[in-house]
Amino acid sequence: MLAFAARRLLVSLGLVWVVASLVFLVIHLIPGDPAELLLSQGGIAPDPAAVEELRERLGLNEPLWTQYLTYMGGLLRGDFGLSLQDEHPIAEEIALRLPRTLELVGMAGLLSVIFGVPLGIAAAMRAGGALDRILSAWAGFALSVPVFVVGTLAVLVLAQQLKLVSAGGYVPLARDPGRHLALLMMPAATIAVGLGAVVFRVMRSSVLEVLEREHVRAAQARGLAPAAIIRRHVLRNALTPVVTVVALHLGSLLGGTVLVEFVFNWPGLSGYLVRAVEARDYPEVLGIVLVISTLFVLLNFLVDLLYAVIDPRVRHG
Amino acid sequence: MGPTTSRRAVLAGSAAAAMLPFLRIPGARAGTPGELTFGLSSFPPSIQPWANTGTAAATVKLMIYRGLTSYAPDGALRGELAESWQPIGTQGWEFKLRDARFQNGEKVTSADVKWTIEQIAAERSTAYFRAEMQGVERIETPDDRTVRIFLKAPVATLPIMMASYHLPIISRNSPRGSFVGAGPFTIKAQERGVSIELEPFAGFFRPGLPKLKRIRAIAYADENLRVAALRSGDVDLIEYVPWQSMDAIAADPALKLDTVDGAFMFLVFNGTRAPFNDHRVRRAVAHAIKRDELVRAAFFGRGSALMQLPVAESSPFYNAEFKEGWKYDPDLSKRLLAEAGHAGGISCSLLSTAQYGMHKDTAEVVQQHLAAVGIRAELNLPDWATRVAIGNRGQYDLAVMGTAADSNDPDGIANFIDGSLSPSYVRSFGLKIDRITELLAAGRAEFDQAKRRDIYREMERIAIEQAPMVGLTWRSQGYAMRRQVTGFTNLPGALTFYSGLTFETTDVA
Repeated sequence: MLAFAARRLLVSLGLVWVVASLVFLVIHLIPGDPAELLLSQGGIAPDPAAVEELRERLGLNEPLWTQYLTYMGGLLRGDFGLSLQDEHPIAEEIALRLPRTLELVGMAGLLSVIFGVPLGIAAAMRAGGALDRILSAWAGFALSVPVFVVGTLAVLVLAQQLKLVSAGGYVPLARDPGRHLALLMMPAATIAVGLGAVVFRVMRSSVLEVLEREHVRAAQARGLAPAAIIRRHVLRNALTPVVTVVALHLGSLLGGTVLVEFVFNWPGLSGYLVRAVEARDYPEVLGIVLVISTLFVLLNFLVDLLYAVIDPRVRHG
Repeated sequence: MGPTTSRRAVLAGSAAAAMLPFLRIPGARAGTPGELTFGLSSFPPSIQPWANTGTAAATVKLMIYRGLTSYAPDGALRGELAESWQPIGTQGWEFKLRDARFQNGEKVTSADVKWTIEQIAAERSTAYFRAEMQGVERIETPDDRTVRIFLKAPVATLPIMMASYHLPIISRNSPRGSFVGAGPFTIKAQERGVSIELEPFAGFFRPGLPKLKRIRAIAYADENLRVAALRSGDVDLIEYVPWQSMDAIAADPALKLDTVDGAFMFLVFNGTRAPFNDHRVRRAVAHAIKRDELVRAAFFGRGSALMQLPVAESSPFYNAEFKEGWKYDPDLSKRLLAEAGHAGGISCSLLSTAQYGMHKDTAEVVQQHLAAVGIRAELNLPDWATRVAIGNRGQYDLAVMGTAADSNDPDGIANFIDGSLSPSYVRSFGLKIDRITELLAAGRAEFDQAKRRDIYREMERIAIEQAPMVGLTWRSQGYAMRRQVTGFTNLPGALTFYSGLTFETTDVA
């Protein structure tokens, strides 16, 4: 088992290195000069000497391979470098923003489960009935509406027209927990509309499948109360695929909450990545992508280990 | 099966979950008297005083720094840290400083002015005015309140230059890596990428100012969210009001809209190769554009046609005789193309960017209008960073550009028409018109206003003929605010981005 874990760990580290190198190459290959961009803000022509000086200062005049080695050397020391825009430590900024995205994604997942699981069960238990048809139609609609449409509508109706909530923004938890939660709910609920529909669908089909199993039929034949059957015999079995689907979606949401962060002014990691790409802030882009990919790889590594624990054949496969 | 219990649980759970988004807890929103919540269009990438890092940064700089001169709400040049100034011969300027203090409590002295200029002109400087300040021959500081700046060549516009938000005076005793200014507000706290909190500087030199007790500037990159934040009461004031929202804001009795035609859209050319190295083809482009349609399509009618050089109508240097210099005239356009040997039309690339709607929409309308006279333009709409790089390298035939001039003085548009300057995406590539360069230099060196007007009239006449750039539209630049906000003014013309100066007189009732 230990050898298997070590092998997987090595592969995971290799993957992270490949991702970092690829991103380094790609971001340097696309047109756009960070020094020129920074000094050209607002449609202004910068002094070429100033641009050259800034390039020199930022190390952008070094050969690409030197920049690569310097960056990788920094990474080995745990140093993500400084932002090209204001020399702010990137690790510090990621440490600030990652929890916000995790919080957003986590809350979205929670809301999805709160909505999706019970509604999925209810629909499955009344398969083909009015409730099932209504909920399934809702799920289809929720899945087909883009997240930015849901978000924009929420802002328009709830914030702008009804003035029930803030239009967006962020307040640190430590400063004002209540307002922090209030500001978190809108973007999280927006993500949860689509994700909840996914959970609903998976839950519904999973429950339907479990309801057909023999042990459930036997329980029904024994005259057990439907609630008890659901709780004891259906829910646990039906939840497994839901957990897998939710985990997969949450993983992809780590770097994919750009639109929601933008629409609600939530200062998370995705928005940070987009702005870094726009500014061609190479160290920032690399640092963020590296963190996201490391989380993915880590997640896969843990899943691999879990599979190995569940099924010993995997270790020798 | 009897699903009663499950259904109840399901409904109760769903109802509880549905209520979660409505957990509204009031507080920390706009509407507190004396405190302003300001919706910025982006978070400033850096607030380095002398470098250009965008208009959002400029607005913040105008809160915390002050230069020798600045602008009054009506756009007139006024003294700031300098109470008066006068030329010394043709190559010198004397500034008399007022009794002002930096935010570290120290007096603003002539030595600080000298130090500031030396920092900007330094060899390793990345300052916006580095080249101009390297044109300073020497600086004399006969006493604490007098500074004399002698230049290598006459510069009549030095007091205007000194009003730039890229030229604030900084204390020479600022701690290393930070910059102490003499503006009306100090930065109390900031959360990078999110917000900046400012508090008033009690020692600001204008008595009774600033009026506000606190400013919280929050970055809202999404223009629609910025408007929603204003309308929902999250913020008191927003900048860069999107054109599509201006009518609704103007009609809202709770809000005020303040717009000026300040920034402008224009076309630049690659002058190093055919067909746009021929001024007749450039003029053919200029006469092919229906600018009113452009204003309607790209700016929802919020703007006006620009058929000459972008000098504001309120400027004493505005030349009314060229008002329709590049008016829509498709027949003339076709004739000019034929004269240039392109009777069968031409094919070219049209560079813009998809990142900003106004640039993209302008390019699409221009493309249609050009097609009507036989100019087949293929759109290239990369992201802004790529567009800048391509523009700087001259990898285009024709490009859409949008910005504001440095000032309302005609020298403020030199950047867009002086082909002798280094290649830049903001001006035509490799298109040098010697007479324009000469006249710009002459205007910069001329102290007599009447003679300056003649010089710039002649320059515009040549520009209309040679079309080193082609004006398209003025675009409305708007600020919107709650009715309770007073004392904030959108400065006229090119000075719209200097409106942050009026935060010192702004108040919230």
